[in-house]
Amino acid sequence: MLENAWLIPLFPLLSFLLLLFFGKQWKEKSSYVGIGFTGVSFLLSVIVLFTQIANGSGGADMVWLTIGQLEFRFGVIVTPLNALMLVIVSLVSFLVHIYSKGYMHSDERLTTFYSYLGLFTFAMLALVISPNLLQLYIFWELVGVGSFLLIGFYFYKEEAKAAAKKAFVMTRIGDVGLLIGMILLFWQVGSLEFNEIFAGVSGGEVPEGLLTLIAILIFVGAVGKSGQFPLHTWLPDAMEGPTPVSALIHAATMVAAGVYLVAALFPVFEASPAAMTVVAVVGGFTAIFAATIGLVQTDIKRVLAYSTVSQLGYMMMALGAAGYVAGVFHLMTHAFFKALLFLAAGSVIHAVHTQNIEKMGGLWTKMRITGPVFLIGTLAISGVPLFSGFFSKDEILLATWYDGRYGLFIIGLVAAFFTAFYMFRLFFMVFTGENRSALSEVRESSRSMTIPMVVLAFLAAFAGYINTPRFGTFLGDWLAGDSEFLPFEHHEGPVWVMLAASLIAFAGIGLAYLIYYKKSLQRDFLSSHMPATYTLVFNKYFIDEFYQYTVEYAARAVGYLGSFIEKYIVEVIVAAVAGVTRAAGSLGSKLQSGQVQTYGAMAFIGLAILVFLVVWTGGYL
Amino acid sequence: MDWLTLMIFSPLIGILLLSVQSAERKTVSLTGILATVLPLLLSLVIYTQFHGGGNLGVSHGWISFGNGMFQVNYELGIDGFSLLLILLTTIVSTLSASVAAAQIKQGLKAYFLWFLILEIGMLGVFTAENLILFFIFFEITLVPMFFLIGRWGFVEREKAAYSFLIYNGLGSAILLILFAAIFAKTGTTNIEELKAIMASGEAVSEEFRYGSMLALLVAFGVKLPIVPLHTWMVRVHVHAPIAVVMIHAGILLKIGAYGLINFGLGIFGDQFAKVAPFIAILGLINLLYGAFLAFVQNELKSVFAYSSVSHMGIVLLGVAAMNEAGIQGAIFQTLSHGLIAALLFLLVGIIHQRTHTTKLSSLGGLAKGMPLAAGFLLAAGMASLGLPGMSGFVSEFMAFLGLFETMPWMAAIGTLGIIMTAVYMLRAVLGVTYGKTIKSFTGMYDLTRIEMIPAAALLALIVLIGVYPAIITHTLQLTLESIMPGIGG
Repeated sequence: MLENAWLIPLFPLLSFLLLLFFGKQWKEKSSYVGIGFTGVSFLLSVIVLFTQIANGSGGADMVWLTIGQLEFRFGVIVTPLNALMLVIVSLVSFLVHIYSKGYMHSDERLTTFYSYLGLFTFAMLALVISPNLLQLYIFWELVGVGSFLLIGFYFYKEEAKAAAKKAFVMTRIGDVGLLIGMILLFWQVGSLEFNEIFAGVSGGEVPEGLLTLIAILIFVGAVGKSGQFPLHTWLPDAMEGPTPVSALIHAATMVAAGVYLVAALFPVFEASPAAMTVVAVVGGFTAIFAATIGLVQTDIKRVLAYSTVSQLGYMMMALGAAGYVAGVFHLMTHAFFKALLFLAAGSVIHAVHTQNIEKMGGLWTKMRITGPVFLIGTLAISGVPLFSGFFSKDEILLATWYDGRYGLFIIGLVAAFFTAFYMFRLFFMVFTGENRSALSEVRESSRSMTIPMVVLAFLAAFAGYINTPRFGTFLGDWLAGDSEFLPFEHHEGPVWVMLAASLIAFAGIGLAYLIYYKKSLQRDFLSSHMPATYTLVFNKYFIDEFYQYTVEYAARAVGYLGSFIEKYIVEVIVAAVAGVTRAAGSLGSKLQSGQVQTYGAMAFIGLAILVFLVVWTGGYL
Repeated sequence: MDWLTLMIFSPLIGILLLSVQSAERKTVSLTGILATVLPLLLSLVIYTQFHGGGNLGVSHGWISFGNGMFQVNYELGIDGFSLLLILLTTIVSTLSASVAAAQIKQGLKAYFLWFLILEIGMLGVFTAENLILFFIFFEITLVPMFFLIGRWGFVEREKAAYSFLIYNGLGSAILLILFAAIFAKTGTTNIEELKAIMASGEAVSEEFRYGSMLALLVAFGVKLPIVPLHTWMVRVHVHAPIAVVMIHAGILLKIGAYGLINFGLGIFGDQFAKVAPFIAILGLINLLYGAFLAFVQNELKSVFAYSSVSHMGIVLLGVAAMNEAGIQGAIFQTLSHGLIAALLFLLVGIIHQRTHTTKLSSLGGLAKGMPLAAGFLLAAGMASLGLPGMSGFVSEFMAFLGLFETMPWMAAIGTLGIIMTAVYMLRAVLGVTYGKTIKSFTGMYDLTRIEMIPAAALLALIVLIGVYPAIITHTLQLTLESIMPGIGG
């Protein structure tokens, strides 16, 4: 079965192609095509997962490109990590396909939407079963295109156009890092197959300094894709896309690809302590940095977007702190609860026709399914004990503690506090209090939207139990047990870490409760007492503006300088050459004076030159 | 059977038919298009013959002087690279002819006459096995182009035509002198013989080789074009009729790459290797200069023109790498850009036909009125910026793979071009298709069925090469093996 895992991405590809070519006739029925094909992929993924657990890893490949003696291959590989990713991606994609049937039902470009979803799902599934870096890179770029197309789905909106362009360019900056790292690695170990890379790295084929450089370059790719500082600015803007897209691409799957990349190449990173530190520090910084921005945003999707950036930072921090299992575990739980939160947010937006949380409120009684599932998602992400996020976050904190990165440990705790606070701020403002919406009547969403949410809520609540210190670290044993290159230590952590994490979560929730539910504390505390800080955070630290005034204007300045050179130097030289030619021409025409003596003299001179040349070159001319 | 001669001169049948026919538009269009289908079919025959291992080479005595000391033969032959360029030529020519039939308003008959002569020239250039013959065919391409630009182009067509003629005339003058000198020194113009002579290293001095190599660099540098010899090409792209630009960007510029690789690298490999860093610098300048200029253009055709300059930089970078990956990348880029540029300009032509403008400031939101055209333009833009799954990626990857082995710093600087390509391509393409509709144009309609054919054919080829590059490497394998020993690699 494992060698046939290529069938999994094939079905969404078929969905994409069918809808692209024939979708126009099918109209609303397009959604069934998308749902059906993705459903098959999900089923196959589950089968592959169980086959892997039962029989171990496997795969197949073939030659794709030959350059002289060099060969580049294409194929599939199923290891625990790949199998897990297959299930996560195909499941979330399947659920989002179903959800979109309700959410997008009135859109006249429904077919296009589903075909793009198919393209994205195809690329994402193919990415996670790539057995080599080149194939991974190919699909890495293709998921970027899927994301680009879906962010720009409302192409007639200027904001959507700008956001799509930004997402593509910002991630491409990262991609170039990955490309360079990949090529440098190739010339060191002579192959891009993961197995051979790991063998080469552990065999000491790569000098240490170069290995660090390669690892960091590859990490740059992950930074772009996973919205890590300083390339994070595209991700919040990507919220211009339809909300199901935000749930699928910009929360659960594609943005986690960066984390997946680092995890998939973990032996390469692990061989370079400096690169590990870079990963951990960038991740930790992003985690807290994005969390502070999330505190003050008023757009429900943007709060969630910054939360995503922050949580991805957590995962990176875990990987950098050698917490391979912790990072992958959090990737999984996050995929479930964040997809859930986005879908629930979409349900709210669908009902109240706004994304501004100031204009919501009191929806708990009106949306009897959306409210509770949103609460479950919020509890999970806040790290409330017994929900999935609690276990994975705990693993991350333990990993940093055991790796001796105490600064990052503290940062992790503080970011957890912020997370609990802004998420419950969101919850209280949207679902409690009085209804501030302009609409008098608010209805719960249709069943095609609520069922996927309920499934995800179940997972967000219970998925954590596959890896707990109390009931057993099944996930950890399985993930790391398969490969000789992966270390796995059980962190039988001190109980106080778990306790501290819980207390921190409750503190954040309590503060949000006091401010936004009981209203016993002033809401505008920050904005009135520290206006400068507030302005800074509210404007996302002015990083967009900074890029605009530096990079963007610089690029344009170079362009204008080039135009100037073209117009006043290149063209002038050309004109000068033409002028000389013309002058020579007119000189020549002056010789045509009609005077026989001049002609005779010219003929004589010419003859003399010819004779001279013949003698000089020895008769060759 | 002499398939090569048959193919090169097969457009003559069209020329003959056209000159005796009535000037009725429908018959002229049909004859014009069918006349380009004939060489297309013949090129397919040659493709199968080539892979069947058949010997396609032709050699007849032709001109002889100096008591037999100087012998010029009529010699034709192909290798993998020239075969692929021939296929590119016949395919793009047919597509371009169909575009011309739709877009050329006046003098269609004369247009096709010139166009078919041009095709003879192009096919001959890629088939000639000796320098004199090459030069003759090279010249044959210049004259029809001059008239095609000057008579059927846009506003500044005459200026563009003269610009074309002066630069290319300069290039071919250098070629002529060079070929004459080589002939005089070695007594042969046969390319294979020259390769052998230069490899033996006795007959000619080192200085002469360097001089010849640099002369080739300039002559073909005009054609490629290498910055700063590129201004004529931008002008032609902007002011020539779209069908001609398809040919020009798609095929004629490739003569530059073909010449550099086949003659520069093939005959003067050792000297070429010595100046490789210099060529890499030229490549970087092309890549980045073109990209940054494309970023600030206000006119769609100019954006794509500078984009061509930028993409030809990749060819130079790949060649400068002097290894198999780099050279294969350069060859792939030559073919891939031919298809992509043809597609881009095909779409520009369609947009211009509907809106009568190519100014970026007056275009916007076209995806609403013409979703198919916008979709194709987006796909072409993605191909141009090197999206995996399309031909551009394979060539860029190989070129950079090669260059990183030999000149990692140059390659690292070059990757900036990958980012800039995305920046300017998306700026232009999204500016035209996405966003608010700036002006509503009356009589706007999407791609017609007829227009779909060339667009879909080009896109299909681009995707085919991107997904299954073996289709190219399969033909190229032997050629590379014959180039590589020449550079001691």
